[in-house]
Amino acid sequence: MLKSKVIMVKTRSGKILKIVREHYLRDDIDNGLFGGKLDQHPELQNDLVSSEHFLIPDTNVVLHQMDVLEHSCIMNVIMLQTVLHEVKHRSSPVYKRIKSLCANPDKKFFVFTNEHCIDTYSARVKGESTNDMNDRLIRIAAKYYDKCLKDRNQTAVLVTNDRANCALAKKEGLDALTIEQYVKNIVGYPELLDKLAKADEAIEVDKSISYPEHLKLSQVQAGVKSGKFFQGKLGISRENYLEGKIITHGEDGKEILIQGRLNLNRAVHEDVVAVEMLPEDQWSNPSGVILDVTVQPGAEITDSEKKKSSGVPTGKVVGIIKRSWRPYCGILESFGSPEMTRHLFTPAEKRIPRIRIETRQAKTLIGQRIVVAIDSWPRFSKYPQGHFVKALGSVGDKDTENEVLLLEHDVAHEPFSQAVLNCLPPSDWSIPKEEFAVREDFRDLPICSVDPPGCTDIDDCLHHKDLGDGTVEVGVHIADVTHFIRPGTPIDNEAATRGTSVYLCDKRIDMVPELLSSNLCSLRDDGDRLAFSCIWIMKPNAEIVSTRFCKSVIRSKSSMTYAQAQMQIDDKTAKDPVTMGLRGLNKLAKILKHDRIEKGALSLSSPEVRFHVDSETHDPIDLQNKELRDTNSMVEEFMLLANCSVAKKIQQEFPECAVLRRHPEPPQSNFDVFLNAAKSRGLELNAATSRDLAVSLDRTEEPKEGIHSYISTLLRILATRCMMQAVYFCSGLESDFRHYGLAAPIYTHFTSPIRRYSDIMVHRLLAASIGADKTFSELLNKTEIQNVCKNLNFRHRMAQYAQRASVGLHTQLFFRSKVVHESGYVIFVRKNAVQVLIPKYGLEGTVFMDRDFEGNTTVNADDLKYIEDKCEITVRGVKLCVFDEVTVQISHDATNVQHQRINLKLVHPKINGISI
Amino acid sequence: MEENSICIPGERLGSSEQYQPGKGTYVRHGFVFASIAGSIKKESDKSGNLPLIHVQSIHTKQHIPQIGGIVICKMTQLTSAFAKCKIISVQGSNHTAAFRGIIRKEDVRATNRDKVEIYKSFRPGDIVVARVLSLGDALCYLLSTAENELGVVVALSENGTAMIPLAHDQMQCPITLLKQFRKVARPQSKHISFPENSKSALTNESTV
Amino acid sequence: FELISDEGYRFDGRKPSELRRVRCNMGVFTQADGSAYIEQGNTKVLAAIYGPHEASNNMRSRVCLDKCFINCEFSQAMFSSAERKKRSRGDRKGKDMSAHIKQTFEAAVRTQLYPRSQIDIYLQVLHSDGSLYCACVNAATLALIDAGIAMKDYVCACSASLTKETSLIDINHVEELAGCAEFSAAIMPKLDQIIYSELNGRIHQDELGQLVDAVTNGCKDIFAVIDRFEVITDNTEIAVSPRSLHS
Repeated sequence: MLKSKVIMVKTRSGKILKIVREHYLRDDIDNGLFGGKLDQHPELQNDLVSSEHFLIPDTNVVLHQMDVLEHSCIMNVIMLQTVLHEVKHRSSPVYKRIKSLCANPDKKFFVFTNEHCIDTYSARVKGESTNDMNDRLIRIAAKYYDKCLKDRNQTAVLVTNDRANCALAKKEGLDALTIEQYVKNIVGYPELLDKLAKADEAIEVDKSISYPEHLKLSQVQAGVKSGKFFQGKLGISRENYLEGKIITHGEDGKEILIQGRLNLNRAVHEDVVAVEMLPEDQWSNPSGVILDVTVQPGAEITDSEKKKSSGVPTGKVVGIIKRSWRPYCGILESFGSPEMTRHLFTPAEKRIPRIRIETRQAKTLIGQRIVVAIDSWPRFSKYPQGHFVKALGSVGDKDTENEVLLLEHDVAHEPFSQAVLNCLPPSDWSIPKEEFAVREDFRDLPICSVDPPGCTDIDDCLHHKDLGDGTVEVGVHIADVTHFIRPGTPIDNEAATRGTSVYLCDKRIDMVPELLSSNLCSLRDDGDRLAFSCIWIMKPNAEIVSTRFCKSVIRSKSSMTYAQAQMQIDDKTAKDPVTMGLRGLNKLAKILKHDRIEKGALSLSSPEVRFHVDSETHDPIDLQNKELRDTNSMVEEFMLLANCSVAKKIQQEFPECAVLRRHPEPPQSNFDVFLNAAKSRGLELNAATSRDLAVSLDRTEEPKEGIHSYISTLLRILATRCMMQAVYFCSGLESDFRHYGLAAPIYTHFTSPIRRYSDIMVHRLLAASIGADKTFSELLNKTEIQNVCKNLNFRHRMAQYAQRASVGLHTQLFFRSKVVHESGYVIFVRKNAVQVLIPKYGLEGTVFMDRDFEGNTTVNADDLKYIEDKCEITVRGVKLCVFDEVTVQISHDATNVQHQRINLKLVHPKINGISI
Repeated sequence: MEENSICIPGERLGSSEQYQPGKGTYVRHGFVFASIAGSIKKESDKSGNLPLIHVQSIHTKQHIPQIGGIVICKMTQLTSAFAKCKIISVQGSNHTAAFRGIIRKEDVRATNRDKVEIYKSFRPGDIVVARVLSLGDALCYLLSTAENELGVVVALSENGTAMIPLAHDQMQCPITLLKQFRKVARPQSKHISFPENSKSALTNESTV
Repeated sequence: FELISDEGYRFDGRKPSELRRVRCNMGVFTQADGSAYIEQGNTKVLAAIYGPHEASNNMRSRVCLDKCFINCEFSQAMFSSAERKKRSRGDRKGKDMSAHIKQTFEAAVRTQLYPRSQIDIYLQVLHSDGSLYCACVNAATLALIDAGIAMKDYVCACSASLTKETSLIDINHVEELAGCAEFSAAIMPKLDQIIYSELNGRIHQDELGQLVDAVTNGCKDIFAVIDRFEVITDNTEIAVSPRSLHS
């Protein structure tokens, strides 16, 4: 073991730091050739390489050609440490992908720690740049492998994109090819060519546009530091893909608007960008115009619209700090001949620009959902350049569309791996004897569960028992998932990554394998189950006398649906203990709910629908609004109570690392539009506190002249949209625990461990706090917990979006062969359109006010009058105001096969040239 | 462990049933361990006791005065009741930072104790061989010269030459022939062994 | 931020249970009663021992009648870290370090042999690259042996950190900065006793055992290394090189 030292001199903030690091060189580093991953005969043939060969890609190849490397035919690759380090530095998503490739035993990617190997180490030559040095290190390693492979009649092929490097390598007697050369000459896999990312120079110049040049990273950083530029993540508006905003870093976190193609300057949604402020006279307002991509491709906001007396801070993008491109799902545009190789791709996500790709398979790809990755966005190209990754299936096909929405929302939906399945208990598992010794036996209690129909993952049960001394015992029993999912096991890691089960209209993506979710952990009424119980002693006025938690064994007496439970309660003749219990619970729940609302809890609303799905085709055949019964809210009340009790307990026990859920109070500005809309209809609402809001919303339920009765629900729906996202967090890292919506000082999730990972963590904490289980390192590490919470928050958000998208998809399928007239309500008024909500279908859509139902602009600006303050729009003398009831025709628009959608056409009120 | 082999602190030298622990060793859990680095020495005891094992440090480094041990000191200050001195050498090693000691009036001589006068026994600057009586108080060691072999070994006359002992209580300057009172040590080389370097240290000291 | 690659190598190319290169030297000062110099990777420490001697005037109050007391002074050269920084002797870090080293050696030195006296341990850090405490203890041990002061055993110290359930021993500055908990311990390798341990940061109690084992093994490795390498390259004086004489 030899060693040498690397001396680096760095300057930071003017000071000169001398950093001396040790660098040990070893002679025992595995090169994989003997008994390792590389001890074999690679089969892939290439016309340019005469013998069996291994690939050594350089950094740029890994960074840009991941889709090629991920193809199943590319195997036997030597990944150098130098390359991995550089990739890690430059792009973390690519790094993650390459890491998972290296971990996959089938791909035979071998990581060689070349910089610590005595045979392949080289010190920096004086004056050499880091890039040059890395290239040289890669060549040295390639040479080393070449030498080692010689006796086996095999070679190592250096794959690089850099011409100079390639030439140097050839001069040194190495087999070196550019990735294009290599891929073109692979025998037997022509489709690989499409996956090849295009190098910058191969792009034709689009004369119509020339974007300003991006500043160098160093200039950007200097500018951000000096305060000249602002750094932030770009969020493109959902309604207008040419308008976005960033929220600057720092305490005040102000918003900067960016409008127009040139000002956006090739920044894509979610990129981290540097923005320079425009002079104040060029400030503008977020446009009220809805840009419909399909109707008017490339429509831009005209100057006249921009002119406004006052504006919000507006800027332009001067540099990109970090790209966050990912593969996008979408479709190929059908313009142009399929024989051509250049095509435009439209992503399903409206906020992503269209992407230019090259493919020879256009004929087959049209009409299919495909995945495309962006490679680059040169200055003289209107659209970014990308390459084809894979095809998912034909457009409109339900499975394909499901796949799209899962992919788009990053929902892990592949089957569980063998490692995960190995963690499961046998399917004939039954409760072992020793569990009875450490658990309380509640099998005699009248425990029952109440869930929506068709629910197979029952994670909560309830019971109610009169103790006879004026108090009652109420128990919430939650499936004891943590008994089966032990920390650190593959199943635990998988559940932590998935974070939540995702419920689509027609299927459920489980967080844990089905054996647990629908059988062992599902508290069905068919046998004994392990549970984690929360038991209260309560007075009849729902005042809690005592609370305790314990692990238990239960036997549910009955698994009911909400409707069944309601019937039992209402059935005067039923006198069995379960029914009596339900009545008791129901009574207590009402008191609890009342108390909660008194404290300022909000009862909000969202239009939710259920699809009845054909049992064979799985197509939606009917839909109905979710009904709310007393029993729904009964179960909900007790779950809330359990969650609050548990939150208090774990926070007390683990003040530094409890997993809690917080719902931040929304800033008043969130309510501006909402309050204004209500005001325009003469409704004075107050949103100063959650209690004020709850009270004023309740007041709207009183009938009022001139206003339909549905307005209260509408207001609740709109109020929901003003709220902030509730988030999980670690108690040691935040000081504000309040849950705004529930008006609870502290809250967590405890009651659904089968479908939420947060609940699993809470279970573990609670078990540790009552001494029923051991703690472990990650559980008590607050940064670790915060990281998990971050992922959970992300997954939950994505799951919600996926659910919404799934509803949207089913709505489309439902209306595929129907045209329906239905009444709806105007919920937003925009400059050129109104947003209409159809409660019956939970459907929301845009009705344009400046064009007829066929999409042709017929109304000129003079006939359109938009008054923002009053939330009203007048078109040809007909006034439409927010909350107005309208009748629309709903139809499925399949004229554009690739871009099917739901069309709303105005039926009533009649407006000349617009309505039907 | 072999005689003369090198050991290091913490090394087990043998069981305490085998050896008596000597210098540079200690006993723990019935075993003798080395506490300094050096070579192992064994001395068999004639009276039938266990052989003594000790470690001789390769360096002759710092020693601190032991009760009953012989030290060499230099007189610094006299009062009628005691004489203060600096201990400059313990067991042949010379100290850089000296310990302090005192010789009380009653410890100067073994006989005629009540007639002792400090001023007639020592003068500042005298080099005296003494035995450590006790650790005294926190500040200095209690020394004694109440043996024939102990007392002043080097004393300088007023003109700076070393004086020659005349009797047990007198010394004379060889040049001026001036006689002075001292508690003179009877020179006995086999009893008090002076290593080479400490002698040179003494002469150095005396020429200062 | 990965402290350890999937292939099992640390930043500097070591495996988790490998020490950095250790080099040491004894008897580097002639003036002191004992002295030593140690390099553990880039952490470089000089130690000097004075004593046992009578307590100096300003330490009188600390004198014990039945044993010696140990006075430790730790200082760091202003060029010892990446940034030049003036460090005063009495800064908090230095005081802590002194106190810890003092505690460590009070347990190892046979203090009752030296009543009423004082032993000074002076430590000077020339370059700091993590595991400072450990290097200081190891240097001081060698210097004490050089001074011929009786000790129960060698004192060897080693640090460890925990990442991804793997314990890394002898951590360097970069690994210290990663923010994982750092555990240091000093042991007497032949008596198999831990005489000092310190934990910076939080770990779960289940992991402590693993960490203690790693540190203990690390200390024993250090012992093996300094026991073997105690040879002095300069040929001035005898100095102790027991093992080399042995073999």
